[in-house]
Amino acid sequence: MINLARRDIAHHLKSYLLTGLGLGLLIGVTLTMAGVYRGMVDDAKVLLRAVDADVWVVQQDTLGPFAEPSSVPDDLYRALLGLPGVTQAGNVAYLTMQVSHAGKSQRVMVAGFEPGKPGGPAFLVAGRPIARAHYEAVADAKTGLRVGDVVRIRRNDYTVVGLTRRMVSSNGDPMLFIPLKDAQEAQFLKDNDAIVEDRQRLAANPAINRPGQPGVLDAVQAIQTSSHKVNAVLLRLQPGVDARAVAGTIARWQRFTAYTRDDMEEILVAKLIATAAKQIGLFLLILAVVSAAIVAFIIYTMTLGKIKEIAVLKLIGTRNRTIAAMIMQEALGLGVIGFFVGKFAATLWAPAFPKYVLLETGDAARAFVLTLVVCALASVLAIRAALKIDPAEAIGG
Amino acid sequence: MADVASTRPAILIEGLTKRYGSGGAAVDALKGVDMTVWPGEVVGLIGPSGSGKTTLLKCLGAVIEPTAGRFTLGGEMIFDGGWKTGDLRALRRDRIGFVFQAPYLIPFLDATDNVALLPMLAGVPNPQARATALEMLTALDVQHRAQARIAELSGGEQQRVAIARALANKPPIILADEPTAPLDSERALTVVKILNRLAQEFQTAIIVVTHDEKIIPTFKRIYHIRDGKTYEEAGEGRAI
Repeated sequence: MINLARRDIAHHLKSYLLTGLGLGLLIGVTLTMAGVYRGMVDDAKVLLRAVDADVWVVQQDTLGPFAEPSSVPDDLYRALLGLPGVTQAGNVAYLTMQVSHAGKSQRVMVAGFEPGKPGGPAFLVAGRPIARAHYEAVADAKTGLRVGDVVRIRRNDYTVVGLTRRMVSSNGDPMLFIPLKDAQEAQFLKDNDAIVEDRQRLAANPAINRPGQPGVLDAVQAIQTSSHKVNAVLLRLQPGVDARAVAGTIARWQRFTAYTRDDMEEILVAKLIATAAKQIGLFLLILAVVSAAIVAFIIYTMTLGKIKEIAVLKLIGTRNRTIAAMIMQEALGLGVIGFFVGKFAATLWAPAFPKYVLLETGDAARAFVLTLVVCALASVLAIRAALKIDPAEAIGG
Repeated sequence: MADVASTRPAILIEGLTKRYGSGGAAVDALKGVDMTVWPGEVVGLIGPSGSGKTTLLKCLGAVIEPTAGRFTLGGEMIFDGGWKTGDLRALRRDRIGFVFQAPYLIPFLDATDNVALLPMLAGVPNPQARATALEMLTALDVQHRAQARIAELSGGEQQRVAIARALANKPPIILADEPTAPLDSERALTVVKILNRLAQEFQTAIIVVTHDEKIIPTFKRIYHIRDGKTYEEAGEGRAI
């Protein structure tokens, strides 16, 4: 038996391919949206993976530095190092800010860390690690910075000495690693006018600027212009030590909250990007429905364009299932073309997106199956219309 | 007139009626049609618009069921209550050939496959079906256009391919609905000659519905249909 669908497609090849192309672009958008969601989740997890900390110690009753402001003393790590099973403890400070380079400003997440302790970049793709105590930086390649570039953070210039990759905040901002002390200063540094104004205000306060006790004013002013706070302390544990038990011990102190890596992932994925994920999920659903409606409309229109031929086919004894198979195969063919065009398009344009778009093979496989299911369902309307065509229509007009 | 070898008519219709609708809105399209067509015979069916030609053709083509009357095909009673949709489909595929005013060929198949489709639908293997198709195209003198797309064929060639398709399963009857309408006089007469030759060659009974004044004199027998009733006009000397 002749494959009627294949012949019909060959007959209208150009328009069929163009229709597949249009559908493909729509599927490409759908795949990209799924990729945006996956990218958000991956962005949320990548930092946790990179710093490789087993326990995050943060301010009591907060969700940690990515979700809420968190402030802990920068000498807390000493006490934490005394806990059984803890091998390393490192202070970290995170602040999202605009930095400027070569006259251009861009948004980054500045991460302050102590070299040799948890919290630094996991690997470098160029240059060297930070070796000096101040004014050196390691930047994510996404910043566009190169080794040797000078970037301005607040009032200070930092030389980029190394580059890393896929180190972004949960918002997708590329990271810029600098020494912890510099990050603490950047976090709390006021502009000169504000410092002068604060000093004048303190000097005018008789409770602080007491006659005969000049050291009090100096001490208060020093406290106001320096910081001994960090956002979190990251712990690495000995192999085999239960992170949840260590976190439980810290929580029992009732002064801090401690999260395991799984807890932090849960916070980042389930809380931070939950709303965005719902937004994308709804958009994906709408796209899927629109795609299905378009496929249904295309197949239905294609079928209506063949009413006379279908009537003749039925009149000369073609079985309904042969006609239904023709329509179904054409719909599935559109789906296959559309999927591969969409996958190609999504792969092509994904790197152009400012935020990471992660196109997973599993998502593509699911999208392929879904596309075929949608096409098959969309063809039902056309098949119903075709089966209703009366063979008598072929006779007498 | 009947072939000497034929003992029973290819088509026998007695008192065929067809009513559309019911109650006060009912319309009787056929009001007791009688018709007999013998194997190898080409019969004309002539009538004005609205006379019931198309309804009669649809009944003969087993696509609508008559309200009453008797319709036998090669001695077998059709629409006697025991016929299911699948049976009627097989009947149309294997025992009735259709030729329309417009060729209504399948545009996405070439000439050969348009003809071969019928035997294929009947379960004949593709190579054998294509051989049969080529045989029919040769009989209609369009074998040189066997691989051509339908859009590449002239009107006359398309009509010949349509006739070849109608003959592909060597059905005992062919129903031709205004087959010469789109053709000029010369081509119209050629088509009628072909139908006459094929009727003799394959012992096929052919009913030609027509308004075409050019071809009416070529029929040996004509049925006039008016207000849902048929009147036979025998005409000796009508032969081509």
